[in-house]
Amino acid sequence: MIRITDLSKSFGALRAVNHLSFEAMPNCITSIIGPNGAGKSTAFNLIAGTLRPDSGRVELEGHDVTGEPAYRLAKLGVARSFQITNLFFGLSVLENIRFACQSLESRNRFLSRLDRLSAPVRRATEILEEFGLDESADELVGNLSHGDQRRVEIAICMALSPRVLMLDEPTQGMSPAETAEIDTLIKSLAGRVTVLLIEHDIDLVMNISDHVIVMHQGRKLFEGPPNEVRASPAVREAYLGAEHAAA
Amino acid sequence: MEDLLAYLHFVVLPQFIDALIIGVALALVALGLTMIFGLLDVINLAHGELYMLGGYAAFTLLGWGAGYWSALVLVPVLVGLVGWTLEELGIRPLLPRADRAIVTLLLTFGVSLIFRDVAQVIWGTETRSVAAPLTGITNFAEVFVPTYRIFVFSAGLLAIAVTWWLVYRTQIGAVLRATAVDPSMVASFGIPIRLVYGFTFLYGCGLAGLAGVLLSPIYAVFPTMGHDFLVMAFAVVIVGGMGSIIGAVVAAILLAQVQGLASLWIPPVWAETLVYGVMLLVLVIRPAGLFNRLGEA
Amino acid sequence: MLQAHQQVQATDIQRRQSGTVAARLLRASRNSSSNSRLLRQIALVSLLLAAIFPLFGGSFFTRLAIEALLFGCIALSVDILLGYAGLLSLGQAAYFGLAAYVAALMYLHVTQSFWLVLLTASASVGVFSFLLGAVAIRAKGVYFALITFSVAEILSKITHNTRAIGGSDGLIGIPVPSIPLLPGLEIEFANNYVFYYLVLGTVCLLYLGTRRMLNTAFGSVLRAIRDNSDRVPYLGYNPFWYKLLAYVMAAQIAAFGGLIYPLLRGFVAPHLFGFEVSTKAVVMSLVGGVGTLIGPLMGSVIITFLESVVGSYTERHLILLGIIFIVFVMFLPDGLCGLAQRTFGAGRKVKP
Repeated sequence: MIRITDLSKSFGALRAVNHLSFEAMPNCITSIIGPNGAGKSTAFNLIAGTLRPDSGRVELEGHDVTGEPAYRLAKLGVARSFQITNLFFGLSVLENIRFACQSLESRNRFLSRLDRLSAPVRRATEILEEFGLDESADELVGNLSHGDQRRVEIAICMALSPRVLMLDEPTQGMSPAETAEIDTLIKSLAGRVTVLLIEHDIDLVMNISDHVIVMHQGRKLFEGPPNEVRASPAVREAYLGAEHAAA
Repeated sequence: MEDLLAYLHFVVLPQFIDALIIGVALALVALGLTMIFGLLDVINLAHGELYMLGGYAAFTLLGWGAGYWSALVLVPVLVGLVGWTLEELGIRPLLPRADRAIVTLLLTFGVSLIFRDVAQVIWGTETRSVAAPLTGITNFAEVFVPTYRIFVFSAGLLAIAVTWWLVYRTQIGAVLRATAVDPSMVASFGIPIRLVYGFTFLYGCGLAGLAGVLLSPIYAVFPTMGHDFLVMAFAVVIVGGMGSIIGAVVAAILLAQVQGLASLWIPPVWAETLVYGVMLLVLVIRPAGLFNRLGEA
Repeated sequence: MLQAHQQVQATDIQRRQSGTVAARLLRASRNSSSNSRLLRQIALVSLLLAAIFPLFGGSFFTRLAIEALLFGCIALSVDILLGYAGLLSLGQAAYFGLAAYVAALMYLHVTQSFWLVLLTASASVGVFSFLLGAVAIRAKGVYFALITFSVAEILSKITHNTRAIGGSDGLIGIPVPSIPLLPGLEIEFANNYVFYYLVLGTVCLLYLGTRRMLNTAFGSVLRAIRDNSDRVPYLGYNPFWYKLLAYVMAAQIAAFGGLIYPLLRGFVAPHLFGFEVSTKAVVMSLVGGVGTLIGPLMGSVIITFLESVVGSYTERHLILLGIIFIVFVMFLPDGLCGLAQRTFGAGRKVKP
């Protein structure tokens, strides 16, 4: 599980994340929502090692991992997907997943010939089947449909056998049908990992989350189970206020 | 004390003035290079050859009986047109490619080789000289400077001022700066990006051609003059900041001074190496250069 | 009965899966861009042609072929970086030149021992490339190319300016040693054919070694870095060390070419560090096919021979070189190997 304590990050005069604290419990789906500019992506970036916080702590299962670079966090079990699809477009789906699986191999097997490394390929095949991507295994990721690409985004994270799965707007650009599928998928994954989710799709969030954190202007505005969030007047005002401001 | 003053006056000052003139001409070449990079993300390795072309064009026009002053006006236009053609035929087809930085670099390198050999075919391998339109020496604070060089300095400064005015005070310049930041946004305003790119090449190469004309009476014209100048121009662009107009001018003056003044105390060839060393240092410590890219705060 | 049926099903699934896995394993190895069947065939054919070449090439062309192989080493080193790690280095000639000068200076002043010279050159290049690589690799995109370019230029200038190591004329009159392979067995370089086969054999080994080294998990990390270096850290890899290792490796290969060059031509000069040598290596790589490893070697042979042949008719061989550059950059970015792959149906492309 992940615990954030007093996390802060500023860009010049802009306080993107302002003393944020929360906990994401194991085998639960914790979602972060909030109007545009609330600081959700920045918070994600701080946890996943993309950015270094100005102050505060990030703890992964009790160990302090504040400010660790992304590659260390990945090795420690944090896998993060991207809002804008960020895959290896020139490689096939299988190669993408296999590459992630390879990362679990011991470094001593580094110079082993590719055709001797059966474990990553085996695991990649299993993952492809689980995610329904087996058919397109040899397709170049760049040629896949958007929905399939988003699925690979999640698959490549699971290939790392993570303890924490961080999904940044996984259903971005997907149709309602596809979103429902991802819904089910994420729910099934929560049994194995801690899920931390950023979403814009409020229905998705309310449907699958165990715990919701509402951010507004860099701070945590509210947190609680979905039904409480829905009922909270403060949350509504934050969203409506944002809408009014945008109008 | 008096010795020191005399030294400063009669040894350092002339060198300083000389380097200032070179710096201004270098700035013209660097300006074009940096504008092209700033707007198109293209590293134009043929830029030195366009400078060379300017020199040869001046030589030819004068050979045909044209006056220096008409050459001064015509040559930048001609070289600019060559640059524009290069952009239309060679650069633009490559711009959509993901590896555009690499392929345009290689393309312009190929073009530079061709230009260099074509120049040798047309004009031969010997050094050609161009007569200076202004003879005589001017006494500047007890330092004797050839009058023509003062003209070069003034003309260069004028060109720099015009460029600055163009980029920062005109509508065209606003479009250029906006394109450097976000081409698709500019395109969505209905402004034809292809013309913007074409104009950038036209103008940038025109500046290089101008430098070629201006310097031809001082350094003469020979086939490898482009290559030597280009490496210096690159050093300028890197130190000044790739894509920065101010950077190109400041760095050009600065680096020319570093080389010029250093030559007083170490062998000139090492002074040149020193400049490259400065370039490397900047690349390592602050790769973006001293100033920010065109359009960026 | 049901249980047995289920057992059979389970083993069926297992067999199918392991069949799939096995097939995929093989494909994974073959899809490594230098290791496809077509490229192995091309490599084999090239080797055969190269092996019989001296028989009808004659003395001059055999020596030219050796030179092509040596420059091919620089092209190969460019390809490792560009085709695998996605790094465009415009300064690989720096290592060629460094090894050449170290070798020349040692043969002239220090020793006639081939092995000692080899060790010294290799070590100097190793240290230099490690230091420079550690600095340059942290730079993004085009700045890496510029840093490598400027270092090569600076080395070229320094050699040009320093009288003690030959200045602009370089060093001439380098004695050609013999190589003691085994006690009692010495190889003379004086014989062109021996020289040729020795170099061919070593380059062959370098090529195979590189291909093998890149057909590994290490190689796949490099390819991933080339495809999308931003994503790589999120999968648990620190790209820096992989790029650095590739860079040091590539430098050693370029250095081998430089090590042998003084023995072939008897002289070294500052232009060996120069921008033209570096860029020609990039073009050789492009002409042959970036990422194929055999392509750059082929490209080197083609360009070296073309330059020599054209150069004997006219001084204006740069026009030809420039036209080749442009044609390949604009119309054949995959190089000749890419063309072969498309003709024989083995290519894979992301649709635009």
